[in-house]
Amino acid sequence: MATVAAPSRSTAARDTGVVAGQELRDLWLAGRGLPLMVAFSLLLSVITYLGATNRSLNFLERRETVNLTVQVAVAVGALLAMVVAGDAISGERERGTLESLLLAPVSRRGLAAGKLLAALSLWLAALVVAGPYLWFLARGVGAFTDAMGAAALAGTLVAVTFTALGIVISSLARSNRLSLSVSLFTLLALYTPTQLPAGAKQGWAAELLLRVNPVTAAEHYIGKVVINQHGWTQDAAWLLSPLVGAVALTFAAVVVAPRFMSLRGSALG
Amino acid sequence: MAAEPRPTPADDPAPPPDQRGARSPGVTLEARGLRATYGSMVALEDLSLTARAGEVLGLLGPNGAGKTTAIRVLTTLVRPSAGTFAVAGVPHTRPAEIRRRVGVLPESAGYPESQTATEFLRYFARLYGRSRAAAAAAAEDLLAEVGLAGRASSPIAHFSRGMRQRLGIARALICEPSVVFLDEPTLGLDPAGQAQVLRMVERVARERDVTVVLSTHLLAEVEDVCSRVAILNRGRVVADGTVAEVTRRAAAPRRGRFRVPSDLRRRALAVLARADGMDDAKPAEGRPDWITVTLDEVPAIATAPRVRIDGAARALAEAGIPVLAFELDGARLSDAFLAMTAER
Repeated sequence: MATVAAPSRSTAARDTGVVAGQELRDLWLAGRGLPLMVAFSLLLSVITYLGATNRSLNFLERRETVNLTVQVAVAVGALLAMVVAGDAISGERERGTLESLLLAPVSRRGLAAGKLLAALSLWLAALVVAGPYLWFLARGVGAFTDAMGAAALAGTLVAVTFTALGIVISSLARSNRLSLSVSLFTLLALYTPTQLPAGAKQGWAAELLLRVNPVTAAEHYIGKVVINQHGWTQDAAWLLSPLVGAVALTFAAVVVAPRFMSLRGSALG
Repeated sequence: MAAEPRPTPADDPAPPPDQRGARSPGVTLEARGLRATYGSMVALEDLSLTARAGEVLGLLGPNGAGKTTAIRVLTTLVRPSAGTFAVAGVPHTRPAEIRRRVGVLPESAGYPESQTATEFLRYFARLYGRSRAAAAAAAEDLLAEVGLAGRASSPIAHFSRGMRQRLGIARALICEPSVVFLDEPTLGLDPAGQAQVLRMVERVARERDVTVVLSTHLLAEVEDVCSRVAILNRGRVVADGTVAEVTRRAAAPRRGRFRVPSDLRRRALAVLARADGMDDAKPAEGRPDWITVTLDEVPAIATAPRVRIDGAARALAEAGIPVLAFELDGARLSDAFLAMTAER
């Protein structure tokens, strides 16, 4: 009789580490990580160039240009992380690799958490890539620390929210296309209010909606820190919904959705 | 859309000691009355199986017979709605522990194209709890075992279908399992690739002393490598036993030929037409002194054909017609398969 391989440890934390390690290798050494970052870098180059040279944009206060760049970095960084997360489970399902993973004695929580961490690495990379551009634009107005700090704080909460949302949708969706479509639609729906004119954001109801939406709340916080030079804690209440969104969706992605992780998808489609 | 049976929880506590190893000696797989449904569709009904170490059990059946569902139930991927099973003595109520004792090559196994064969195996070894060093060593050993040592560093994207299947078998062996489930492992392979995989299956069962459950709809594969066979049809086991037993029971010969002097053939035809148990007797085509007889169909009486042929020979002798030669068609597994899976 063949002997059974005894696991050294079988905790979810260990599973998370193993899965995340492999996912990171797949993403950065042989996958989409580097091309996506190159594309992201090109986008920031264009924005920075326009911000520094374009006449129309030059009418903006320099701090407003920095704020615009931070907002773009947060939006695109979160989008990239969410796209990778949206493919994480449904993609495995479609490529026929999920069955082998589910057959391994790895906890599904560990699987989801590992993939979540790997997808979040894209946001981290986006933040690092944005650094030099923000430094260049913030020269002379002393906004670099404010911009990086606000991006790191509010941006990370937004990125975690969307990445976790991507994992949840990916766990439930029956197809990869559906997973990516629902994820992108949700992201666009939440970003839509940021494009509304200032007049539409007046009044208590509008403010409530802006506070409840993690995207608009984070945008507001970043704007206050970068443009109005508020202290980091002065508008901390605006971070409540991004914080709640990040915690709730991470819980959903790592604890709830894995219960419904199956070969055919459970709920969507 | 049909609902998928609820997946089993990934984690479960360790079994109490009295539930370990409680099985007949050598028995590694034991299933009793398993039932699985997809919504209102019954995919598996009253499945009972037993398999021992070192045995290759062929799970045979037409498309949609329930072979893949049976494997998914036995590997804890799908929870049965009724019945019990145990793998290596571990009851089905301990799915996580069962998963440590089974290796599986799924029918539609996909592979991460960008990973190398070594990375792929190392990753799964790590998922099974091995240290980095042990995982690397296991990957190296297994790649050598399945004949892929020379391609260890090649991306899987460059692998042929046969190489992928061998890599899949290596992955199934990474946990040193007690039972290996191979779902249609030769599907899409050329004859040389099929033979290579089947020899590997035999070797794995023999040298590692593990049970191999080989799901296929290719009868020749089963006849070639399986020590026992279970034929599934519409979710039920309709026959199981050794290949010879199943063949004899389900597809006993129904045709034979008598050689008689050519001048007596017309009279012999008349005698045989009247003999008990004969369905038909006619001259054999292209053989002037031979008569082909077809026996009445009497299912489930394994010895009846031989008895009825004997009776026909006796009738010829009593009529004074010498039997110069006699042939009985050999029964094949394909006859059994067709008989047992035919639409009724």
